This record gives sequence, structure tokens and C-alpha cells, in this order.
Amino acid sequence: MTIAAPEASLNALPRADGSARYSYAGYTVTASVNGPIEAQRRDEHAYEAHVDVIVRPAAGVGGTRERHLESILQSSLAQIILVKNFPRSVIQIVLQIESTPENAYVNTKLVQASLNLPIIPALFQTAVLALLSATVPMKATATSTVVAVVLEDGSKKIVADPSPKDIGEATSLHALAFTSHDELLLSESEGDFTVKEWDDVYERAQEICCQSAPKQAGVDMMLDDDASGPDMRSFLRSALETKVASDLYWK
Amino acid sequence: MPREAEPSANEKAFLLKALQDEQIRLDGREFDAYRPLELTFGDEYGVANVSLGKTKILAKASAEVTVPFADRPLDGIFTIATELSPMTAPHFEVNRPTETEVLLSRLLEKTVRRSGALDTESLCLVAGQKCWSVRVDVHVLSHDGNLTDAACFAVVAALRHFRKPDTSMENGVLTVYTPAEREPVPLGWLHSPFCVTWSFFGDEGETALLDADWMEEQVRVASVTISLNRHGEICQIAKLGGVPVEAVALLQCTSVALTKVKEFSTYLDSKLAEDAKRRDKGGFMAELRAENDRVVG
Amino acid sequence: MSTESPLVVLPGESIDPSLIPTHHKNPLRLGPGLRHIPPSEIVPTVAGQLVVDNRKTSMWIEYNGGRYIPSQNDLIIGQIVRSATDFYYVSLSPYTPNATLPHLAFESATKKTRPQLSPGELVYARVSLANKHMDPELECVSPSTGKADGLGPLKDGMVFDVSLGFARRLLMAKSREEGKVEVLEALGEDGLGFEIAVGRNGKVWVNSESTKTVVLVGRALRETDEKNLGVEAQRKLVKKLVREMR
Repeated sequence: MTIAAPEASLNALPRADGSARYSYAGYTVTASVNGPIEAQRRDEHAYEAHVDVIVRPAAGVGGTRERHLESILQSSLAQIILVKNFPRSVIQIVLQIESTPENAYVNTKLVQASLNLPIIPALFQTAVLALLSATVPMKATATSTVVAVVLEDGSKKIVADPSPKDIGEATSLHALAFTSHDELLLSESEGDFTVKEWDDVYERAQEICCQSAPKQAGVDMMLDDDASGPDMRSFLRSALETKVASDLYWK
Repeated sequence: MPREAEPSANEKAFLLKALQDEQIRLDGREFDAYRPLELTFGDEYGVANVSLGKTKILAKASAEVTVPFADRPLDGIFTIATELSPMTAPHFEVNRPTETEVLLSRLLEKTVRRSGALDTESLCLVAGQKCWSVRVDVHVLSHDGNLTDAACFAVVAALRHFRKPDTSMENGVLTVYTPAEREPVPLGWLHSPFCVTWSFFGDEGETALLDADWMEEQVRVASVTISLNRHGEICQIAKLGGVPVEAVALLQCTSVALTKVKEFSTYLDSKLAEDAKRRDKGGFMAELRAENDRVVG
Repeated sequence: MSTESPLVVLPGESIDPSLIPTHHKNPLRLGPGLRHIPPSEIVPTVAGQLVVDNRKTSMWIEYNGGRYIPSQNDLIIGQIVRSATDFYYVSLSPYTPNATLPHLAFESATKKTRPQLSPGELVYARVSLANKHMDPELECVSPSTGKADGLGPLKDGMVFDVSLGFARRLLMAKSREEGKVEVLEALGEDGLGFEIAVGRNGKVWVNSESTKTVVLVGRALRETDEKNLGVEAQRKLVKKLVREMR
């Protein structure tokens, strides 16, 4: 399975405080971040900022599926944003899904299928990039991935970044996110799986999200593509280095 | 709900002074010049990304098989959805339409749907039982004025780029083919209408500008949206309130609009051709295609 | 300022302790983008370049973008929203809570002589109080001398929005050497006369006898900011704009 490396462009939307466009494994998502801005009375919290996440589908109106995704993202993003710095305000994150992977063998329905998990990493990663672009103060950065357990020739195999076909055949699906301190931030699972499988999934996801290049100041030439999926942390870092270099071109 | 942003009194006064005394716009454009218009298509069929200066719009066309309306058994269904999200600006709320949103959706409705740009009869599969429902979702990613013209261009581009799955009827059995079985087919397209919006300034609306940006929109005293195709056929003219505008001025606006629409039309055609070339793998599959190219205008 | 290659940091990354300046007497001063987690950890909260000034035992993160967050002593350009019994509500950026500007916080203002400002007018002011639990407060007068020092209502002219980083560069004491902003000097050398006020909240007010000059200055500033122009390119841009306008 070959998947092109993840791509990101920051500050793509000129009128938002921060924005990012991210595409990977067939998903393309654009996010805008505005904040901290004035909270409506119902969202106002005396001690911390309210993190407002809105997920908008590419086609059709948002429904329960989007509300579910919003609640998952909201609770995990609020953990890494320094919400206590901005009492009584809102940090508003709008995620617009642009495209999802196509399966040439099935005609897609107008309102996409009920599967929620595979899109979480794309949404999550875009949100983190947009927050960084908006320079919202954060405790840490985070990376995310999705892993499937697929039954193949009678034995179970763990597939990272599964294709729509793999997802159709998977016995269970897991979306995970880790902070830059290697702490598990988000974990959503679907399907039947054993504790042993979960442990394997966890290990694999951690490898993808947390295998950090040895820190040499500024240089990260970590190119071990031993089919273990992309090195999300280096990707995030290089995207941000590009942004900072362009912001501080005058330095 | 946060208040909508509003330019200061100084900004409003200065903009008007520059327009009326010096005949200059703040970004140095000519009065009848558009900001740079850019169109890119996505990897999927029917996704159009349009940017007009800092205004950015994403339109996505999609289709599904459904049951036609009982009173129109021979027609397919065609809808344009324009919902402004807080991405457009924080004061827009989901599920709470604002005036901007309602006006935008009505204008697109009149321009694209009511003008018969899409042949809805060709969307009918089995009379009274099965038809295609084509839907275009308009997403405003960034709002720097003139949403109407940019959104209309994006909708037309997305629909003309879109391919719906091929179907066949045999012995009363309807088959919808997947993209792997048969190459998807374009929609039955009849003509391409575009919107051109003029904004008027001054006490009697004597100064007219094309493609007003957000700041100019905040100061204008009236606006007229003219929808027409490159053959000069006018689909609608909308002037929603504001100060009265001379009929002669309106005629002039219309003729300038026609030249702009011709430019849009040529640009869109060239972009579609470019994209077709990029996708055309050539060779065997191309030769296997049975259908003829449709002539669209 | 340190001379090493730029060190880009992301939120939550650890900072090499050897980089942290120490001084036997002066305390360490942390600038924007850093937070101190007691007892001794210093962590970045935004993505940017770590800058260390050993002489002043201070360190901060240099970055651009985002929304303006008021901080004490910043000079800002605000827009009057409405007047209350003894202060004005002033907007610093769209969709954020209003700051307050007391009616008497102007040079030699009394109940009778205070400036009457109506909604939509602009003021150049200093942030006198910024605290996360309260709305910011402004003043147009120096509390120690009672002088305006250039602050106060801004009449006529035009406001242009620029990025926060660019506003910071324009406000640097040596904007030409340190901030690499040459555009204003270049405009001046071309014989254009104009007044300018820069707000830390990403707003630049420009006024001149000639409307064309204001438009030209605004376009030069915005293009320099949006297209990340270097010193040479700024000069070229000014030449080009001046030629176009004449």
C-alpha cells in the first residue's frame, strides 16, 4: 500500500486568525481558528476558554455524525490548549471536510456512511495545525493516527492508515492521538477486539505518532520508511518550521 | 452572538473620498476590474475551489438516486445548498441563517436553477419512480466581499466538472455502474450563467464599481447583480433596495457585465480543458468510450 | 541577541537548560510565548523562534500571526463602540470584548472639556490595564506627566490592517536595522508627506493632505506585509507604486 506523504499548508485563509489545509490518505480538510473571541452567554465560562469545534461535511447537512466527531475533538483539543489563559472567551475551530477517499468499486452515498473513526486523524491533525497557525497558546502539540485490525489468511494483521477497502474488511478500528509528551490523548475504538490486539494497536499507533527524530537542533532527516507509516511528529515539525521561517523572513 | 465587524467612521469617509474625489480604489484597481480570479479542481469530480482575491469558495457537486417529486415525475431534483458557517466570519452561526446567506442562496437559485442551466429532465431515470438528485454544496471559506459572483462561478464550475455514475435500463432493471465498471458521465448542461455584481456609491449612486471587496460592500449605497451567459441572455437582474439607479447607467452596467461574463466563460472552458487533459490517461480506455462529447455552452 | 542558527520551538518542547540565560543578580525575564512551570521548567506555548538575550537576561518567542491579546503598555488603535456614563467602550479587534477608556483619560480633560467621541471614531491609546480576568483598560494620557505624548483621537485618515508581527516591526525603536522595514523611509525619500500611527493590534493609521498619498502608503505597507518583502523589494515596490500614481 502506498500513500503519499501528508501535506499541509498553513495560513491559507487570509481573514481568519489562523488556518490550515491538510491532506493525507485521501482526506482533505481545511480548518479555520478564530480566538480568543467574545463568548456567548451560554458558552461563557468564568475560569477558562470554551473550545468550540464545528465539523462541516463536504456534501449534505451536518447531523449526528458530525456532532459526535465534534464532541470527541472538543474534549481532546481542550486538553492541549491553555484554556485557563483566556477566561470567558471562545476559541472557535471550524473544520471543513473537502474530500474523503473514494472507493472506485462502490458508489458513495450522498451523506457518507456511518463510519466516523477513519476521519478523526485528519480532522484532529488539521485542527492542531490551525491552532498553531493562530498562535493559540498550548501545553503541547499532538499527533494522531488510525489503525485497523484486519483478518487476513486466518491471522490478524494490524494496518495503519487503512484504505476504504481495508476498513470494510476490518474486525476493529481504532483512532488514537498522542501529545508531544507521549501521553495518550484520544482513543476511540469500534468493532470486536481482544486486550492483546488493543495492546498491539496501541504500540503501533504510538510508533507512528511518537517516534521522534533524534533532536539535533533544526535538522530532522529521519527517513526510515520501513513501512511503519509516516513519522507524524517530524511532519508536524517540518510544517511549522516552514511557517516560522516565512513569518520571520526578516530575521 | 458576537457582533459583526464594522469599519470605523474614518475608513468609511476615506473610502468614499478616494472614490469620488480622486477616482481611486484602495487597492489601486480600475473601477471595472475584478480581483484575480483563480479556479482549481480537486482530485474528485465536481469539486471546485475558487478564489477571488481574498474571497475563497469551495463548491462540491454530488448526486444520488432518489424518488422524484410527485408533481414532477419527469424531472430530476437539483438543489444548491449555501450555508454560511463561522468559518466565513465568527458572527455566522450554524442553523441560524442571516440575511447575507438568504440573499446569496436566492440569487444562486435564480441564476443557476431557474434559468435552466442544468437539464433536469435528463436526470430522470424511471418516470415517477427513480431520478437523480444533484446537489451542490457551497462553502464560503473566506469572506472578503462579493460572495455572489465567486459562489456562482464556483457552482457552475463544479457542476460542469462533475460526473455522475453511468446507468442503464434493461428489461425494466435499472443498473447504476460504479466508476470501476463504467466511466462516469457529465451532466446534461445547457448554458453557463454567471453573476456580475455592481456596487454604487455616493448620494445618488453615481459611482459604480465591479467586484466590491468587504470594505467597499460596507459603504455602498446600492448594488445590482446581473446574471447572464456569454450569449448575452440575461437570466435575472436583482436590485434589492438601496438608492435608485438611472436606467441608462444600468444598461451600461449590463454591457460591461457581458464582457466580464465572456472572460469568465473562456477562463472556465480553458480550466476544464486543462483538467480533462490532466485526467485523460489516453489509450485503451479512451478508445473504449462509447459516448460522444457533448457540446456545452 | 543570540547569534546561533534560529532555533524553532513548538509548544511543550523542552528548552536546553544551557540556553537559559543566568545572571548572579538580575532575575530572568520571560517574554511572550513562554510559560514558567514551577519550580524550574520553562516551556514554549506557541510555535516560533526562541530568542535569548543574555545581556538583559531575558528570553522570548518570536512569531507572527494570530489575534491581538492586549498587554500592558501596548500602543493600540481602537474604535469607539459607544459611550457609557463615564467611559467609552472601545473595540481593539473584531469579535473581542470591548476595552474601556475613561472619559477623563485624555490630556487636560475635565468633565466639561473632555473630547466628545461618537461611535465609529478612532483613538490612539495605551493599554493601561490588561488582565485575563478583566476587560482591558485604555488611556490617552501619560499618568506621570499628564501629557498626551501623541495619543488621543485620530481625525480623518485611513486605517490599514497588517499582521501583528509587522506592526511590531514598525514599532521597533530601530525598525530599519532590526525590523528590516525600509518602506516608510523609502516613501519619505520620494517626497511624500504623511502622518502615521501604528497600533500593536495590527492597525496602521495614515493621514496626509493628499488622498493619493494615503492610498499609496497603505498599499505599500500591506504588500510589504503580505508578500514578505525584503529591504530591496520594499524599495522597488515604492518606486513602482509612486510611478503608477503619478
